[in-house]
Amino acid sequence: MGHINDVEILIVEDNPNDAEMALRALKKNNLANNVLVVEDGEEALDFIFTKGKYSGKEKDSRPKVILLDLKLPKVDGLEVLREIKGDEETKIIPVVVLTSSKEESDLVESYRLGVNSYIVKPVDFDKFVSAVRDLGLYWLLLNQRPY
Amino acid sequence: MKYSILLVSLFLLIAPLDVFANQNGTAQSKTLISDTITIGSEPDYPPYCMVDENGNAVGFSIDLFKAAAAAVDLKVNIKIGIWNKVKRDLAEGRLDALPLVGRTPEREEIFDFTMPYLSMHGAVFVRKGTKGIDSVEDLKNKEVAVMEGDNAEEFVRRERISNKIFTTKTFEEAFRNLAAGQYDAVITHRVMGINLLKRIGTKSVKPLNFKLQNFRQDFCFAVQEGNSALLSRLNEGLSIIIANDTYEKIRLKWFGPTVKESITAGDIAKIAVYVFIPLFLIMSAIWIVVLRREVRRRTKSLQEEISRHKNTLEELRKQKLLLNEMEKISKVGGWEYDVQTGNTNWTEGMYNIYALKQGEYDPSDYKKNADFFYPEYKNQIIQAFTDTLKTGKPYELLAKLKSADNDDKWVRLRDLPEIEHGKVLRVYGNFLDVTEMKLISDEIKERGERINLLLNSTAEGIYGIDLGGRCTFCNASALELLGFDNENQVIGKNMHALVHHSRQDGSERPESECKIFQAFNVGKGTHADDEVMWKSDGTAFRAEYFSYPIRQNGEIIGCVVTFWDITQRKEAEEELRNLKDSLEKQVKERTAELRDKVEKLNKSQRAMLYMVEDLNSITSELQEERRKLELSNKELEAFAYSVSHDLRAPLRAINGFSGFLMEDYADKLDEEGKRLLSVIRQNADKMDALIADILSLSRISRVEMSFEKVDMYTLAKSTFDEIATDDEKQVFEFNISELPPAVGDVNLLGQLWQNLIGNALKYSSKSENKKIEIEYRENNDKVIYCIKDEGAGFNPKYKDKLFGVFQRLHKDSEFEGTGVGLAVVQRVVHRHNGEIWAEGEVNKGAAFYFSIPRSDKFPNN
Repeated sequence: MGHINDVEILIVEDNPNDAEMALRALKKNNLANNVLVVEDGEEALDFIFTKGKYSGKEKDSRPKVILLDLKLPKVDGLEVLREIKGDEETKIIPVVVLTSSKEESDLVESYRLGVNSYIVKPVDFDKFVSAVRDLGLYWLLLNQRPY
Repeated sequence: MKYSILLVSLFLLIAPLDVFANQNGTAQSKTLISDTITIGSEPDYPPYCMVDENGNAVGFSIDLFKAAAAAVDLKVNIKIGIWNKVKRDLAEGRLDALPLVGRTPEREEIFDFTMPYLSMHGAVFVRKGTKGIDSVEDLKNKEVAVMEGDNAEEFVRRERISNKIFTTKTFEEAFRNLAAGQYDAVITHRVMGINLLKRIGTKSVKPLNFKLQNFRQDFCFAVQEGNSALLSRLNEGLSIIIANDTYEKIRLKWFGPTVKESITAGDIAKIAVYVFIPLFLIMSAIWIVVLRREVRRRTKSLQEEISRHKNTLEELRKQKLLLNEMEKISKVGGWEYDVQTGNTNWTEGMYNIYALKQGEYDPSDYKKNADFFYPEYKNQIIQAFTDTLKTGKPYELLAKLKSADNDDKWVRLRDLPEIEHGKVLRVYGNFLDVTEMKLISDEIKERGERINLLLNSTAEGIYGIDLGGRCTFCNASALELLGFDNENQVIGKNMHALVHHSRQDGSERPESECKIFQAFNVGKGTHADDEVMWKSDGTAFRAEYFSYPIRQNGEIIGCVVTFWDITQRKEAEEELRNLKDSLEKQVKERTAELRDKVEKLNKSQRAMLYMVEDLNSITSELQEERRKLELSNKELEAFAYSVSHDLRAPLRAINGFSGFLMEDYADKLDEEGKRLLSVIRQNADKMDALIADILSLSRISRVEMSFEKVDMYTLAKSTFDEIATDDEKQVFEFNISELPPAVGDVNLLGQLWQNLIGNALKYSSKSENKKIEIEYRENNDKVIYCIKDEGAGFNPKYKDKLFGVFQRLHKDSEFEGTGVGLAVVQRVVHRHNGEIWAEGEVNKGAAFYFSIPRSDKFPNN
């Protein structure tokens, strides 16, 4: 893990097992450089909007992509998403929602708020790896402005 | 002779006076008397008036009259009749004159007399040998006869000569009766009596010698009272014949011999010396005195006459003015037309009517006058006037003229001819301007017609009656209602007797109870609607009428009755009354019935109220249940959510980290270690599948359905294409019919086909025959879809277990599965109000049937 100003991928995940698996999946796709994992929504917002314990971070430095779990302590994933997409500065950051099931009603709300993509957290890890690959995160990371 | 001289003297005394007195009248009236006159003569007054053997009138008076008449160019017709008749004929104008009439006060009233030409004394005639009648007084108790109407009768009655007076038709009859022993005496003129006795040859009767004072009779010609013209001419004629000795000749003819014989020459000398000379002297003196007196009287009378004449002229002038004024006021004009001269005279009024100026217009040409009239009247007027001239027939006309100042006038024209001896001498006439009257009468006529029209066009019968109850008018409706053809059948009839005589039951209705008559008896309008009137055919109808008094100048003169036939109305009223009665009865019955029903209803209502209360409590229970259900649904959702998140997270960790162990430490694990790790990972996967299926089942139960028309054929076919692998598509025979569409939720129905087709594929995987058939049947209210395979099938004994959750008829080692798929299918079918069942046999395949209610039988929501 490098400096906070160099974070390229922000993972917001309270389950450390899931977070580890996500990191492993990224690593398998060679995307594990400059990844920061935060465990709740409040910390995620602090980081993104450069406040709280991340107030020392450079304002201009932003992650290139955010992987966001919806079920989070303190501030839940949908609220985090709403704030990111509600701000002119941050709304350009691609957000990928990590979900336990695609049937969840939260997914609909996520799209409404402007989510860029989602990954169903599968029980079979191999499927998770291939899902990350399919998402084209690599391509996202290479290109500063994918859209 | 003595008489004749006396008479001539007398005549000389009187005649000039009369001639003078009548000169004016004679001149004036000359034209008014015709040249032939008719006189009447008695048959038996000898020798004055008699008839000869040929029936012609003869006698002294007759000759004298003829001679006098001839002297003034009068022709004489003589009619013979007894005295009383001729006397009456003259008095009544059927005769012009009588030749022998004694002048008496009584007769002065009815006749005018000429100067007397004969004076006679009366005498009493008795049978010879009669004693005891020496004076008039002796006649007192004697029977005295006279001729009826003779001056002798007048005398005996006037002087009351006797209490026993008899009359006979003629003196001849009286003498014969006397001779035959009747009466005691006959009174008549001495000369005539002697002559008559001689003529009838009676010798037993003789005149007595004493004189009858006051029965000296002067005889004259007589004319009708007022006929002064004829009187003057006869006087003139008498004067002439006396003057030219004709009188003397006639006298000689009738009396001459007798008188001459009795008078000798000595007598004449005596008479001349002793009688005539002194008499002449005396007479001359008297005459002079009388003449003087007469001249004075005449002068005075002339002066009076002149002043009267002046007065008359003044009077005439005034009357003419008055006439003009009267003519103006009454718009009358008069005219006269002289046939001989052809002159026409108009009064001022005539000029006024024509709007002409007197002096500027000459009215002599009656045809020119007629030009003022409208053409339709002109000829009529000329014709009527000519008729009057020809036939003496007067006319009366109404005609319209346009006056000189262009005014239209209605004029009533009348004329009256003056006729003499059958010839029209003059025509008098008048005009009456009746324009205003005509206008008024036209208006009255028009008004009358209007009133008649009004009367006759009203539907009500109207008639009028006078105080006697007699019909005075009657309109057409009244005639029709009463059944008469024309008003002559009712006018003048007593209307009570005609149409109102009886009551409905036929009993008589006396006039005293007649309400119609009360209108004029009481002077107040009356009304009735409960009586009948009778028609001409004897039938009656129920009538309503009003009777109002008619007043003229405040006086009631009758009444007018307005009536109409109310039979139908009465019947309708009665019908209504009956209806009302029966309705009331019905209402009562119904009310009673209703009361019963209400009571019953009250009971049922109470029962219903209890039921409603029950229902309410059930509803609130249901609501409570529903609330609970909703609550549990939410709990279920929360549960499902937590299952999907929280139960899966450990599974992911188990599976993931087992994988990491395998990857990172594979070289340190033996084959058994690796197998064990793989079992862990397989079970984690299995658990994940179970969780997914449970979530799916739960979702199907909870999800809100959106109904739409679903193309079942395309849905089933695309599902097969989607879920079958390429290999399966190669080996499977897939037959699908043209399935009819269903109304339902496309997602749920898609899930249904997915599970059913998936099962068919799965359970056919190990069979030889790989065939899937999808078909349908339909009836009125549903479509039954069917999917068949020829795979592993099932034991029909357990077919009830097929649709239970986690119920499986195959081992996992045979066919993998969670036992949730058919439960999901059943749930979907049930949510579409359909049914599902299965047929099958082990190793012979299975068939699944499900029904979906027809689209039009299924509500849109």
